[in-house]
Amino acid sequence: MPDKTLLEMKQIEIQFPGVKALDKVDFNLRAGEIHSLLGENGAGKSTLIKCLTGVNHMDAGVILLDGKEIRPQSPQHAIDLGISTVYQEVNLCPNLTVAENIFVGRQPMKRGQIDWKTINARAVELMARFHQDIDVTRPLSFYSTAVQQMVAIARAVDIQAKILILDEPTSSLDDNEVKLLFDVMNDLKAEGLGIIFITHFLDQVYAVSDRMTILRNGHLVGTFGVQELSRVDLVTLMVGKDMDTIFNLKRADVKADAPYMLTATHIGAPGQVDDISISLRKGELMGFAGLLGSGRTETAEMLFGAKHATSGTIEIEGKKTDIRNPYDALMLGMAFCPEDRKRDGIIGDLSIRENIALAVQARRGFLKPLSKAEQNELADKYIKALGIATPDAEKKIGELSGGNQQKVILARWMATQPKVLILDEPTRGIDIGAKAEIQRLMLEMCGDGVSVIFISSELDEIIRCSNKVIVMRDREKVAELDGETCSQSQILTIIAEGAAAAGGEAQ
Amino acid sequence: MKKRFDISSLMRSKLTWAVVAEALILLVCLIVRPDFFKISYQPSTGMLYGNLIDIVNRSSEITIIAMGMTMVIALGGTDLSVGALVAVAGAIALKFMRWDVTVYNTPGDYTVYPFVLAIVVPLLVCIAMGLFNGLLIAKGGMQPIIATLILMVCGRGIAQIVTNGKQFTTGYSPFRVIGQGSMFFLPTPIVITVIVIVCVSLFVRKTAFGTFVEAVGVNRSAARLSGINAQMVIFIVFALTGFLSGISGLIYSSRIMSNDSNNAGLNYEMDAILAVVIGGTSMTGGKFSLAGTVLGSIIIRTIVTLVYYFGIASEATMAFKAVIIAVVIVLQSEPVREAFAKRTRARSQLAGGGAVK
Amino acid sequence: MMKTKGRSLTSRLTNPKYIMVYATVGIFLIIYLFGALAYGDKGFTTLRTFMNMFIDNAYYGISAVGMTMVLITGGIDLSVGAVASLTGMFIAYGTSVLGLHPLVCIAFSLVVGVGLGLLMGWVIHYLNVPPFITTLTGMFLARGVCSLISRESIEIKHPMMDALAGWKIYFMKLQDGEWVRIRPSAFINFNVIVFVVMIIIGTVILQKTRFGRNIYAIGGNEQSAKLMGLPVGRTKVLVYGFNGLCSVLAGVTYALYVKSGWNLSLQGAELDVITCAVIGGTLLTGGVGYMIGTLFGVLLKSIIPALITFNGNLLSWWGKIATGLLLLLFICIQKIVVNATGRKKEKKPAVKN
Repeated sequence: MPDKTLLEMKQIEIQFPGVKALDKVDFNLRAGEIHSLLGENGAGKSTLIKCLTGVNHMDAGVILLDGKEIRPQSPQHAIDLGISTVYQEVNLCPNLTVAENIFVGRQPMKRGQIDWKTINARAVELMARFHQDIDVTRPLSFYSTAVQQMVAIARAVDIQAKILILDEPTSSLDDNEVKLLFDVMNDLKAEGLGIIFITHFLDQVYAVSDRMTILRNGHLVGTFGVQELSRVDLVTLMVGKDMDTIFNLKRADVKADAPYMLTATHIGAPGQVDDISISLRKGELMGFAGLLGSGRTETAEMLFGAKHATSGTIEIEGKKTDIRNPYDALMLGMAFCPEDRKRDGIIGDLSIRENIALAVQARRGFLKPLSKAEQNELADKYIKALGIATPDAEKKIGELSGGNQQKVILARWMATQPKVLILDEPTRGIDIGAKAEIQRLMLEMCGDGVSVIFISSELDEIIRCSNKVIVMRDREKVAELDGETCSQSQILTIIAEGAAAAGGEAQ
Repeated sequence: MKKRFDISSLMRSKLTWAVVAEALILLVCLIVRPDFFKISYQPSTGMLYGNLIDIVNRSSEITIIAMGMTMVIALGGTDLSVGALVAVAGAIALKFMRWDVTVYNTPGDYTVYPFVLAIVVPLLVCIAMGLFNGLLIAKGGMQPIIATLILMVCGRGIAQIVTNGKQFTTGYSPFRVIGQGSMFFLPTPIVITVIVIVCVSLFVRKTAFGTFVEAVGVNRSAARLSGINAQMVIFIVFALTGFLSGISGLIYSSRIMSNDSNNAGLNYEMDAILAVVIGGTSMTGGKFSLAGTVLGSIIIRTIVTLVYYFGIASEATMAFKAVIIAVVIVLQSEPVREAFAKRTRARSQLAGGGAVK
Repeated sequence: MMKTKGRSLTSRLTNPKYIMVYATVGIFLIIYLFGALAYGDKGFTTLRTFMNMFIDNAYYGISAVGMTMVLITGGIDLSVGAVASLTGMFIAYGTSVLGLHPLVCIAFSLVVGVGLGLLMGWVIHYLNVPPFITTLTGMFLARGVCSLISRESIEIKHPMMDALAGWKIYFMKLQDGEWVRIRPSAFINFNVIVFVVMIIIGTVILQKTRFGRNIYAIGGNEQSAKLMGLPVGRTKVLVYGFNGLCSVLAGVTYALYVKSGWNLSLQGAELDVITCAVIGGTLLTGGVGYMIGTLFGVLLKSIIPALITFNGNLLSWWGKIATGLLLLLFICIQKIVVNATGRKKEKKPAVKN
């Protein structure tokens, strides 16, 4: 059974205006296997998937499903053929109930009417299979992203799918939820489903998949069994360079007597975080580790005035301040790259130039506009300095890749010449090359005397860059570690069990 | 090659289609009436006369409101209350200048209260109502279309309360100048409109306010986190729209030298929104074009004028207006523009390819 | 399973999605109670007053049925008043001037109204023109055609129309072994029946058919609906078509109510209809709305003029202001409800190493 080929894609070519998005790519999937699809952003993963789901149309090539040639025309057509997809952003309707989200469009009917009883009963059964004991008659928006993700998978599986495509389903899940998802994936695999799994997290690739296919720049690099390829080799194949040359970084050098730039004492707000105290020296890089929802983002937002701190004080360069909104923070020389780039960072319809000049302009107030020449100067300077890949500064930021968008946001803040820069997950969802560049930029700025707060879910980059590591847990600061000496396992233990259990060196 | 590519991007620009539409409509006017473009000077009134002047004059009220509406739409919203505000402004102005039958016999050349009050108070009230809209939207976090629906529904009621349901008339000549007089050989409304256009354009484009509006319109959260005071931007835009509605209301009531709580500014919100959209500003917010809006407003008025020429009753002009607007909007719609642009691009590529060979 | 069943009834009733309907019903009851206390002696609580609220607003209600669906998809339709007015015009002109049978006129109106609705739906979905602009153009068109037909009010005189307009079922009670009309007499007429039937049809469509559920899905998230393989385009086009049907029926009932056709009748009715839906708990952002809410929205809107009439001292324009305030109140309640229940729970953690 494992060797039965379910899906075969041969010599797929797709041409976009100006670019060949896919060039003679082969891909095959067996029944009862989990097959990871890997590559940097822009390598052609999503284009290949969209070919299968009927969103993009091939210019050349053949798709065989169970040996029969298919040509998916639309998402609906793909679903009819037995190809189901679960996307990174939950694509369900928040206003409908959980049960209805699973069955909408194919509700069981009784005497010409929708049979709500059966729908709800079957939904309960299905969700139980995914270990979710929830009230399926509540609106979907009532539940966490993880549950929503499970509902999406339940829907995808229930429509008699032969192939399940999971497009970065894990980026907003915690460890336990990821484990749960993997259990479900393994169950489905045992039932003979073919699963295509796309993720940026290499550990997950090794934890769950049987084989992997690597794409680079629209070309096929190869298909390998997970045992055949080490992590380092995998990254090398994905990037085309080896890892050491990518991450050749040096920690910022902070003098012991460097003045404190930012001191927060006992800041907090009900329902957000409790009693956080940190002090950040000039030119220092402070890493924030902790789970999503542990209070990292809330702390950053409070420091920047995006959320109101009801208690505690914030001092900038030793002076007490009253930061009530982002504008106040901006005027005090602070800068903040938010976690959700699309929602809180980019202004999609405006050009790169306008996006870069925005914060500088906001600081000057609208009555003192930057001239077009000044804006162009700023834009050109940072496009060059950060290596933003664009033909010119007038391109809409929304049309750039994730990594380049992130660089524009960074440029927006660098242009204000901040004293304190807060970066919330600046490297999430961007490829390894761009990640390394952003880390390098961060460290360069530290070298220039900027103090940086760096929040990330990826512990290796925290440890690689930070002078000091703050560990957050359950909306509290539980430890402050030295960046040079701390280890991943130490941080993980603190996150999992608290500072005391880890031998508590909280200062 | 380069030039050809420009054509294809021109074909994709909404403004291009608006210009083409206006040109075509004018051309039809010219065919129907060969003396359409004639402009004559009347020494007795010191004013220029002609169809073109008339079109611009009659479009003044909408153009003025549409200036504010452009920014409201750039913020991703709509302001439905402008028509009601026009009625309120007229009601207040006439309340101050009313001809009272118990004091005077005819609506003569006098005002009951100082003229300044009749001008300033309506404008202040309209600004206040605009701020009320802004308050619901910026602080209350409501959708603009719903928030402004409230004043749209009760605004005319307020106008009637101001005048106690009566219709006043006035004969005060300084007030008459606003809607019926002339300045620099042109009807005063045109002069006022030009001043408004210049002031708003300067305010928006010579400061960074326009960029702030666009930034807030595209992504309010990102704009706020970049240090822009989004609430302030929303307040200013809605207050400005209220103020402009007030000016428009004064012009309207000066034209009829009376107040009319039921019909003053009726459907102005619709016409203003239409003008903005025809002018190429997308209803989803973001980039906006004030020049396009002015053109859009003039297109709407030209259509009405054209329809008069065919001798069709004024109420029925709506049907023809609808047909022409439908054509413009369909031509401007994304799929159609893309299709045109693709065809031109394909042709230019073909031609370019030929040259290389 | 057992657990789910056990909590099902209370859970169903306390489901946050019904809060807006409760609010509408609750506020209606409060206002009704107020009217009963203040004007009970003048006859506010009689069945007649209550039924008059239906009779005087049936045409708004019928239109509100279609409007609710359009609003649930996240759209808007500004053409309803004009299409209803056009229907009245067709009937008046057809019967009085051309001498046609009213059924022919109504059939013709249906073709035009539904056709215009479908066309607008098509333009909205396939040409991606905002609903506001598309239906505004539709409104201009319908109004203009009205005026092309006639600029005078035309009386409707036809035995069938007279019979329909005069047809009434009186409420009776048993007195001394005989059925007599209750005093003051209260009745339902043809319009009320159409209204109630349309509310029922609307409820069945929304709750019992796939088409209805697709409407909610589209309003919740159109992109998702598309990716879930739902027929988004077809549904939207049909919703606007159905709304056209409702507008025509509203026009017919309005014609029966005033027995004439006039090119300027029902000006601004679209806003009253939208207001009814909104105070009935329908979200203008789409995705939420119930027919029962709309029914009470219509009653809530019609109770204000009733109160003003009973008061006798207030002038009619207070009605507009009261409606505006009611709208404000409802929008505030919606805001609070959405904030309290719709908020997504905090994102769950994730750590990678």
